[in-house]
Amino acid sequence: MSTSPPQSLTYLTHAINEGDTFERFFECWLVEQNKHLDELVSASKEVDAADRGALRPLVKRVVQHYEHYYVAKARWATADILAMLSPSWRSSLEDAFLWIGGWRPSMAFHLLYSKSGLQLEARLHELMQGLRTGDLSDLSAAQLQQVDALQKETIRKEQEVTEKQAEQQETVADTSMVELALAMTEGVDAPDEGQSRVDAALAPKQDGLAVILRMADQLRLDTLKKVIDILTPTQAVHYLIAAAALHLRIHEWGKKRDARVAQNVTTHNIEEDSA
Amino acid sequence: MAGMCCEVNLAETETSATVQPSSRSARRRGMEIHQFKFVHSDSAVAPPHSGSGKRKRQKFDAVVPVLPLRESEIRRDQLSGEVEPEAKQLRVSVQPAAAAETKPEVAPDYPKFGMTSVCGRRRDMEDAVAIHPSFSGPNPNFPDGMHFFGVYDGHGCSHVATTCRDRMHEIVKEELEAAGSSSWERTMCESFLKMDKEVGSCSSGRVGSCCASACRCELQTPQCDAVGSTAVVAVVTPDKIIVSNCGDSRAVLCRNGVAIPLSVDHKPDRPDELNRIQEAGGRVIFWDGPRVLGVLAMSRAIGDNYLKPFVISEPEVTITERTAEDECLILASDGLWDVVSNETACGVARMCLQSRKPPSPPRSPGSDMTVTAAGESSDKGCSDASILLTKLALARHSTDNVSVVVVDLRRGC
Repeated sequence: MSTSPPQSLTYLTHAINEGDTFERFFECWLVEQNKHLDELVSASKEVDAADRGALRPLVKRVVQHYEHYYVAKARWATADILAMLSPSWRSSLEDAFLWIGGWRPSMAFHLLYSKSGLQLEARLHELMQGLRTGDLSDLSAAQLQQVDALQKETIRKEQEVTEKQAEQQETVADTSMVELALAMTEGVDAPDEGQSRVDAALAPKQDGLAVILRMADQLRLDTLKKVIDILTPTQAVHYLIAAAALHLRIHEWGKKRDARVAQNVTTHNIEEDSA
Repeated sequence: MAGMCCEVNLAETETSATVQPSSRSARRRGMEIHQFKFVHSDSAVAPPHSGSGKRKRQKFDAVVPVLPLRESEIRRDQLSGEVEPEAKQLRVSVQPAAAAETKPEVAPDYPKFGMTSVCGRRRDMEDAVAIHPSFSGPNPNFPDGMHFFGVYDGHGCSHVATTCRDRMHEIVKEELEAAGSSSWERTMCESFLKMDKEVGSCSSGRVGSCCASACRCELQTPQCDAVGSTAVVAVVTPDKIIVSNCGDSRAVLCRNGVAIPLSVDHKPDRPDELNRIQEAGGRVIFWDGPRVLGVLAMSRAIGDNYLKPFVISEPEVTITERTAEDECLILASDGLWDVVSNETACGVARMCLQSRKPPSPPRSPGSDMTVTAAGESSDKGCSDASILLTKLALARHSTDNVSVVVVDLRRGC
């Protein structure tokens, strides 16, 4: 498989140096995710039982790709945390399902159960006879218990981060903010001085948000890695296929929908103008 | 043989699939208590718990499949809340065989069973499972031992279900000792009433030993009054299966391939239950399905003080003579029954039990569980059956917690 650029890591180094946008990085990242998806799909079809170990490097590479994403995100977040929390590179469909600027960690288990369920319905009779299918329908007792434990832990951590986010968001109406807003409304400050006071007041809020985002991203990546660790390489391949396909398709559907809405708005405006 | 089973199963699978969509969502909704105020006669009914409690969920799946001596040890660390029950659960499927090997003289008729209990697609775990082989200790009337299996599906919070898990078998044991010659019905009814009282005394502020758990409602009244649990309990003796049930968890016997329900779900629109509720002065209101006073989607439960006397804790008890054709007993919460029919569940379970006699599937080079003697392999069969049923429930989009216990009833395996 060719490893020609742009790869996310190469691009990451490059883009940071060049002062490029995260959006550009994200687009490159998606292109690479698409390639990974193709590789995963063909690996899932080709590899026979004897060759399962060969899947490990592929799984590792795909997981690393996710790691790069979070490294890049953390870098860009230091420059502009607010952009990371309302990502313009996402569609409004994706926006609607975001949890602190990304996917909700507990979603990882629904993804697993859904994909596992689809494979199980397809091979129920084999499983009933005690045959091994090797895919996600074949989660063992130990795996199921590990997944269940990880799910509970993840939900608990997710709630903790959500609580912290709530506390942080509530500080938007703390005394200093309210005082400043009133002062600025009454116009006691010179404009320049006002701006510096605003910046000073917002800085700790943004720092707080950056901490929350870091925790959220850490939980996302940890959850993904821990799920992969529970699975066999073959199962991991199936899981990563489902993850990538869902991510890419939702992005695609959302972008199309946004384009359609924009199109309608334009048409509507033109009609109004000409009326 | 296997082929024949497959065919039967396919048909069952399809049948049940057509029934699912409506009942699935309806039952799922059934487990949520609705949040609106309701005033009946002279008592203001407290709004049920809002679900915004600060405490985190407890873990509830604990099984103590060991001999009485060790039982107390394990229960102690469970109560301390520090132990990860998953680790214990992990041992469940393995332990019975081991225990039977090491101390065959204490548990001559050690039951073979498998248990799986998962959070599934819900964010809270409110199911609890209790398994206590030979729970009654040495008993002259039952020299071969009696085994206790219970599935509890909590609503509102989890503490009633966990209290049932921790206490029900002890209460049943006490009642059995005190019962003398009284009937099973009487013994089990008394046990359920006592269990209900214990749960009730917790919630009215007289904190008992059963209230050690830190649940999200923090055992505060009035929320605590709006908490309850289903209970389906099976006592398996050498010649009988006694099933006592409150609520919509269910016990199903698989006999010669036929699914025989040993409990009937307590739904508020069941004609006899509807009558009982109305005669007590209560009403069943359709609010997202039939609900007692428009609130609870089952007509009997442990706990739920605020819905008394309409929701009662008196169980319906069935006593079934065991026969040579009995294959297995399945106890499960509605997380399974909402999406898998009795027939399909039996088909899957018996298939697992039958096919686990040294299978040598060509596709299983990496099998992580070794199948050895026939006796142990049936344990694996039960364990496989409970896991497969759980996975099947998840595959069919069960949105609830899923708990499944499968008990092998075959003789001489």
